[in-house]
Amino acid sequence: MKEYELFIGPQHPGISGNMMYHLWVDGDTVTKAECNVGYLHRGFEKLMESRLWMQNIPLVCRICVPEPDVNEAAYSMAVEQLMGWEIPERAKYIRTIVLELARMAAYLMGIGSYAGSIGIYTLPQWSMGDRDYILDIFEQLTGARVYHIYIWPGGVRWDMPDDLPKLIEKTMDYIEERLKLYDDVLFENRVFFDRAIGVGKIPCDKAIEWGVTGPNLRACGHAYDVRKLEPYAAYDEIDFDVVSYPDLGKFSSHEAGDVYTRMIIRRLEIEQSISIIRQALKKMPEEEHILKHPNWLRWKVPEGYAFSRVESTKGEFGYFVVSDGGLKPVRVHVRGPSYTHGINVAERILKGANIADVSQILFSLDVCPPDIER
Amino acid sequence: MKSIELLGKGEEMHGRAYIKLNAEEVEEAIKKLKENGFNHFVMLSCIDWIDKGKFELVYHLWSYEEKEHVMLSIDIDRNDAKMQSMSHLFPQIETYEREIHEMYGIEFLGNNRLTPFLLEGWHHMPPMRKDFDSQKFVKDLYESIPFIEDKKEDENEGV
Repeated sequence: MKEYELFIGPQHPGISGNMMYHLWVDGDTVTKAECNVGYLHRGFEKLMESRLWMQNIPLVCRICVPEPDVNEAAYSMAVEQLMGWEIPERAKYIRTIVLELARMAAYLMGIGSYAGSIGIYTLPQWSMGDRDYILDIFEQLTGARVYHIYIWPGGVRWDMPDDLPKLIEKTMDYIEERLKLYDDVLFENRVFFDRAIGVGKIPCDKAIEWGVTGPNLRACGHAYDVRKLEPYAAYDEIDFDVVSYPDLGKFSSHEAGDVYTRMIIRRLEIEQSISIIRQALKKMPEEEHILKHPNWLRWKVPEGYAFSRVESTKGEFGYFVVSDGGLKPVRVHVRGPSYTHGINVAERILKGANIADVSQILFSLDVCPPDIER
Repeated sequence: MKSIELLGKGEEMHGRAYIKLNAEEVEEAIKKLKENGFNHFVMLSCIDWIDKGKFELVYHLWSYEEKEHVMLSIDIDRNDAKMQSMSHLFPQIETYEREIHEMYGIEFLGNNRLTPFLLEGWHHMPPMRKDFDSQKFVKDLYESIPFIEDKKEDENEGV
């Protein structure tokens, strides 16, 4: 049969954002895939070089739409490294809670979109609705639902209101209950098994070399998590498990690195996030939530190179910040996890896939174009 | 730090190893680090030091066993920006080189995929260079749209 070309995206429900894949297809089989990005390039890195250190906080959160807080945390941590600051204990705990809430919100969105890609349309409705309860918490804490601009160098912007822990606990109980329904609809559903097992496999021996990180790497059997490797915020004082293949708890374990395992890892990590938030709420000490800042307009950050990394739902987020001792950064370079997953990994594993599986493979990698283009 | 011991030079900077190398030494250094556990290539960054007339390329590697992050830094001449491609060592370097080629105009010899990446139909100076003035560019391109500060000046003139 003659080979033909197929374009999916940039406006397509089967693509995880405004990006495009150019496929060469023989019958139903993809013979070659090429990623085409650029639809979301907003030049943040260039813009950051011409703005003051504090003015960059409202920019960085826009680098990951479903999970903006990881950017604020990573940028703040890099600036704190350069300043030599140690943030207050309370701020560390609040950051942990915020990052985990954002993590759950992003997972709920990711799982819902994945379910949509294999034709299970009930779950997206539920999970997007449940995500909104987490956004309600954010609204009470930070005043905003999506971009919070809450984590700042030196701590967090506002203290946590006294009545918020109660709401967070209530929401955690609710989501824990809902997860059982999610299992019935997706994770223990025959359709999911038939579609996902053995599909879109990342070769496990190549995973690290290809730059795979986060849940996708853990699905390949490498139990690496930045929260354990290089603990930031209060993660070193909290007890949690790194979920990785082949130990998938109550779910049966099949092949390493396929779509099924990647999605089960995400499902199990929601439980871990709930446990982390509960522990953090109990342990959170009463004290100041932020360090005293210098005058923002005259704030000079000492010369040097700093690199900070944060675990996001997509993988490892890294911020490389260079200062020459001036009022503005010389360079801020963002390592987005989708930069590897969405381009060189996706192009390799899409080869040989069925057209119908392209969409679910991309959603299971959790490719997010804003962090590729920045 | 293990990477500093392996390569015999470098310094510690905010908990990371920072090693200055010549352009010819990079390939050997990355190979040596890769064999010794630094098997995660984190990213390739470029910094434009316009006052010093050079570009600085920083190769970031990470070792899961040692929990160590190493930055290999090399300087290249700003007027003759060329570098050997390292994409045969880690596949994702290809994409980073592609972006740096587009944003800074550095030629990577041996990389066959230096095609447009984020920008489309771009015929101006590579935009991440420090001498590219984004405000002037926007003003020249969209001249007909008055800027806020221009408007103010006009108003003052009227007064």
